[in-house]
Amino acid sequence: MVVKDGIRAQSKRGDFGDSWWAKRWNQTLGEYNMGERLGRGRSYARNGRIKSINIQKGLVTAVVYGSSKYKVRISIDMIPTQTWEIITKKIFSTPVIAAKLLAGEMHEDMEEIFTKSGVRLFPKLNNIETDCTCPDWANPCKHIAAVYLILGEEFDRDPFLLFKMRGMEREEMLKMAGLQDMSPNKNAKKDKKSKEPEFIELDGFWGSHAKMAEPEVESIPAVHAALVKNLGSFPFWRSEENFIESMESIYQKASELGIRALAGDPSENDQGQ
Amino acid sequence: MIVLHAGVYEDSIAFWAETTESSDMEHQVSGVKRYKWCANSTQLRQVLRSIGVRGKKSEAARISIPTQKGMPVPSDGIIEGMQDTSSGKSFSDMYVETVTLDGLDMITLLCKIHAKRVLESGILVGADLAYLSEVMRLASSMVTRQQYLPSMVQDGGFYEATWMPVPTTEDYKQSMDMSRRMPGAVLAFSYDLTGDLPQGIFQDMLAMMINQMIFLQAASTVTGGSRSRKNFDSVHTSWLHHLRRTGDHLMDDTNAPQLLHQISEWQQHVTLLAKSQLRLCFRLEEPEDKGPWFIRYMLQSREDPSLLIPADNVNKAKTVFPKLSNPREFLLVALGQASGILSAITKGDAEPNLAGCFTDVKGAYRFLTEEAPALEQSGYGVILPSWWIGKDNKIRASAIVRKPNTKSTGMLNLETVVQFDWKIALADKTVTLAELQKLANIKSPLVQIRGQWVEASSQDIKHAITLLKKRTQKASLLDIIKMRLGANSPLASSGSADSVDIEIASKDAQISTMLKQMSSSSGLEEKRQPKGLKGTLRSYQARGFSWLAFLTRWGLGGCLADDMGLGKTIQTLALILQRKESGEQKNPFLLICPTSVISNWQREAATFAPDLSIMIHHGISRSKTKAQLCKDAKNQDIVITSYALLQKDIKIISGVQWDGIVLDEAQNVKNPETKQSKAVRSLKAHSRIALTGTPVENNVVDLWAIMEFLNPGFLDTLTSFKRNFFVPIQFEGDEEAAKRLRRATGPFVLRRLKTDKSIIRDLPEKIESKTYCQLTKEQASLYKATLKDIEDALNGRGGIERKGIILGLLARLKQVCDHPALFLKESGGTTKNKSNIVRSGKISRLVEILSEIADAGENALVFTQFVEMGHILRRHIRETLGCEVLFLHGGTTRMQRDLMVRRFQEAQTPTVFVISLKAGGTGLNLTAANHVFHFDRWWNPAVEDQATDRAFRIGQKKNVQVYKMICSGTLEERIDDLITAKKNTSERVVGSGEGWLTKMSNEDLQGVLALSTDAVMME
Repeated sequence: MVVKDGIRAQSKRGDFGDSWWAKRWNQTLGEYNMGERLGRGRSYARNGRIKSINIQKGLVTAVVYGSSKYKVRISIDMIPTQTWEIITKKIFSTPVIAAKLLAGEMHEDMEEIFTKSGVRLFPKLNNIETDCTCPDWANPCKHIAAVYLILGEEFDRDPFLLFKMRGMEREEMLKMAGLQDMSPNKNAKKDKKSKEPEFIELDGFWGSHAKMAEPEVESIPAVHAALVKNLGSFPFWRSEENFIESMESIYQKASELGIRALAGDPSENDQGQ
Repeated sequence: MIVLHAGVYEDSIAFWAETTESSDMEHQVSGVKRYKWCANSTQLRQVLRSIGVRGKKSEAARISIPTQKGMPVPSDGIIEGMQDTSSGKSFSDMYVETVTLDGLDMITLLCKIHAKRVLESGILVGADLAYLSEVMRLASSMVTRQQYLPSMVQDGGFYEATWMPVPTTEDYKQSMDMSRRMPGAVLAFSYDLTGDLPQGIFQDMLAMMINQMIFLQAASTVTGGSRSRKNFDSVHTSWLHHLRRTGDHLMDDTNAPQLLHQISEWQQHVTLLAKSQLRLCFRLEEPEDKGPWFIRYMLQSREDPSLLIPADNVNKAKTVFPKLSNPREFLLVALGQASGILSAITKGDAEPNLAGCFTDVKGAYRFLTEEAPALEQSGYGVILPSWWIGKDNKIRASAIVRKPNTKSTGMLNLETVVQFDWKIALADKTVTLAELQKLANIKSPLVQIRGQWVEASSQDIKHAITLLKKRTQKASLLDIIKMRLGANSPLASSGSADSVDIEIASKDAQISTMLKQMSSSSGLEEKRQPKGLKGTLRSYQARGFSWLAFLTRWGLGGCLADDMGLGKTIQTLALILQRKESGEQKNPFLLICPTSVISNWQREAATFAPDLSIMIHHGISRSKTKAQLCKDAKNQDIVITSYALLQKDIKIISGVQWDGIVLDEAQNVKNPETKQSKAVRSLKAHSRIALTGTPVENNVVDLWAIMEFLNPGFLDTLTSFKRNFFVPIQFEGDEEAAKRLRRATGPFVLRRLKTDKSIIRDLPEKIESKTYCQLTKEQASLYKATLKDIEDALNGRGGIERKGIILGLLARLKQVCDHPALFLKESGGTTKNKSNIVRSGKISRLVEILSEIADAGENALVFTQFVEMGHILRRHIRETLGCEVLFLHGGTTRMQRDLMVRRFQEAQTPTVFVISLKAGGTGLNLTAANHVFHFDRWWNPAVEDQATDRAFRIGQKKNVQVYKMICSGTLEERIDDLITAKKNTSERVVGSGEGWLTKMSNEDLQGVLALSTDAVMME
């Protein structure tokens, strides 16, 4: 059975996620001794068998297509709020760690901060309860493994998801640290409104010719789609096409047109040089 | 005449035009009037075809046109014969015929007209279209640099996949500047211009163009699968599909709202940083004593980069940037993002209070060479120590040249072989071999010599050590010069040698003088001006002449690229005269120039260097064979020919032994591949001089072509030149290569600007010059015919009758010299003939000079005594140059005049003011002009001076250049000569205009009025 709009792992082979924390998360799964089932779980994750995932504090629910539709539940022990307060204080007293976290990366010392506060960042087996509606007697089954692996890949992109599973959301933590959230998407509407009263002044109706600036020399970047790569893969990607690869080829093609346009002739047949 | 326009209309532009040939059709489309001056779609398509654009549908579109008293106001006064087009605030809806352009068509049009005022003669680019072209340029630049992200917008329940521009600080600044000078016409199809327009319009326009470019390319990246499918397996696949715009615009997916949320979450880091008025900035600080280096974090204002707040003081930022809701979070996010580039942020020893991070000398070097440029490119600010930005932070090798053993030969030349030893300096301090070896052991790229930091890679140091260990070397003087200039040093092949600068300090007086003179024009020994030169060289001219003489002495070529009006001609004549007087000149000089200035050269030489004999190699009677030309040229000092003829007669001309070759308007050979350029390079001579008023040093290939003429082989072959300089400079932005090229060519290019402080001091506030031009064949035959008629008419007449006939005759001949259309009283006469050649030699010379003036960004006044000529001038200048042309004559109302004067005085771009002498000779203040043309002559210096004084008066900040235009070989030249000759003796007689001419005998008069054979333009 093929699920067309399933969530797909973006890594093609090897580990799910490149970061140390994704790898650490996946290690936990390794501790289950799943044998064959882990391999099946990997291919489930890569083939888009996961129909949906819902992450709440301390609980992940998912729908996975096997021979039929199964519901997966992974519940994880939450870290108490008082402990989170200690952790948050520690994170934000070290600007480097906070900076990295806000930019979507976990500092190597993050695990130590948790340990020193008396809790574990990565749950042990006894902190996790898993459940699946499939007939397989083994727990975790391949469906649970698939969800687990996809989660690892998403943590790679957004470490706050891991915190959420341990009972702390991004906004909550920022508030705790004395930073109100000001992410633009939240204020987008307000922003637009506040800009409205500024008006443009037209330079007459017909305008006048401006002095031409010295043209800058531009070149095509060595690495394509750097902005996209900077942001990391797209959250819970659900397409057969690889997101980053698709972006790379579009950016590259567009740059080629850009450079031709700057040279004064955008049409392809006259590439010169 | 046609003026091209365009306005934005949704995801396309509506292209349209105004034309002088209006149709008086009183069309109406659903109650809306047709704009009287709009071009029809056939005309539009014709223009589009000429630039290779097909365009989509043609349609009549509604546009807001400014009106005054109910009448539409066109963009250009010429369109309706109106004087003033300053638009009022009221608008009327009218319709114009348009062609819709989008995708490649839109991009092509906007790219091809970039920086053009005229597409071709008579087809002008409106300022609104030019503006859109500039927006397109910014869009192209951002697309090339990949400054955008895939995104989605929601509009009234519809979801559309789009690309969101992510401007860098520079892009942001540029778009702010541009949005402030948007012409209303670009919005006239889409917005109500009488109301306020939201700021976001510019961003939308930019985003539209960026999207069109990406969509155009993205479609081709689809691999397999049907291109126009409707059903998608997921909302993400659908999004990708729509981002490539392979089907519908709108995404029809129930999951779209969810995706929108995901996208904004995904983008938040970038948008948070890109939309902020702040940016994170890094400052590298040197260690105190032996401590570590420090990279300080600061918050920097995007609008005012000098506004910096140290990051450990982040809470203060809020008082400086009240709009910023949370500077601390901004700082943390930005630091986190930057840590991808600058690893020291997380790996180095960070200050707990956010002040910055420590690093070692290797880290500092990595920061200087790699991380800082990468950070800058990603939009962060970077502040580097001054010694790094300055020049003298490098290791430098000098060759100490020994006194050559030339007792027997005496005279040094470029082939003389000399011996030299090496000397090494770091930060201008000479170091010994032992010191270098000690530094080599430190193995650090940054070393400290007596408190001063210096960049010296271990490779550089190793290389310097091998140089010092080497014994005395040998090289020819030419090689020494090349080494000195670093163009293609003989050491370059030996590995990393080009990373070592080479300086030559000679122990030989003659060589060191030569090298010193070569390295700076201030070290130049000034030569006395030749005896035979009439007039005195200004001191900068004396310097230019001495420079030419110096290069010529060594058999090197030089390009004199002074601003127009600084006297390149007289400097060149001085050089030729000096060669003649010193007896060094054994053969004639060959002077190659555009046909239109041949007679000017001839006249100027006769004025300033009457001792020089001149031959013109031009026209049907020119020497036809090599032997003939050798014989004819033998006793001449200068042979003048044109570029066109050089190419034709190259075999004949190259057979003559030339002492030197002078290229006037050398930009004619800047394209190295043209026949003209190749012909010029094939000529052999002892010395070579190129003259040009346009800067050559900015275009790399132009520079090669001119250098190859001046000093063949200096910059290597074109192929290797392209590899070593052109590609790195033009496509990789390689500053080092550009610097190397400047150093290699610097000694051979002398460019002085009128605005240079040292020049202004030397320059008189007013320079008057005579500009000679030739008649066209049409003018010549009209001139002859007029003379013939008059001979009969004058016979036996006397007194007042005779006087009247003569005055009428003078006026008519002057009209012929101005323009045939003026003489023939053709109303609205065309200024070009059937074969598209301008019918007046004078007007084409005027436009040539005006075009240089406009390129320099300056303004000009053109005086004529014929009102009808003013109309012709106005139209011709406007049509060929595309710059703004104002025209003041007797019929101008006072209010119009005041408006025009104000407009001229406040003009932002080059403007020409045509003035009928009678209307505007007095009273006006036109100091915005610093060029004054007397297109025809009043023969009364007082009247002309009074006109000149419109520009030359208090408030004038520049030197004023006055051009008196004279058709050579006609009455204009002869009367001018008479006035000049008589000026001192009988000022009163000639001071009173043309009256004195009527008192001449018929014979004398005929002598003055006759047409000489050289008056007519050849070819």
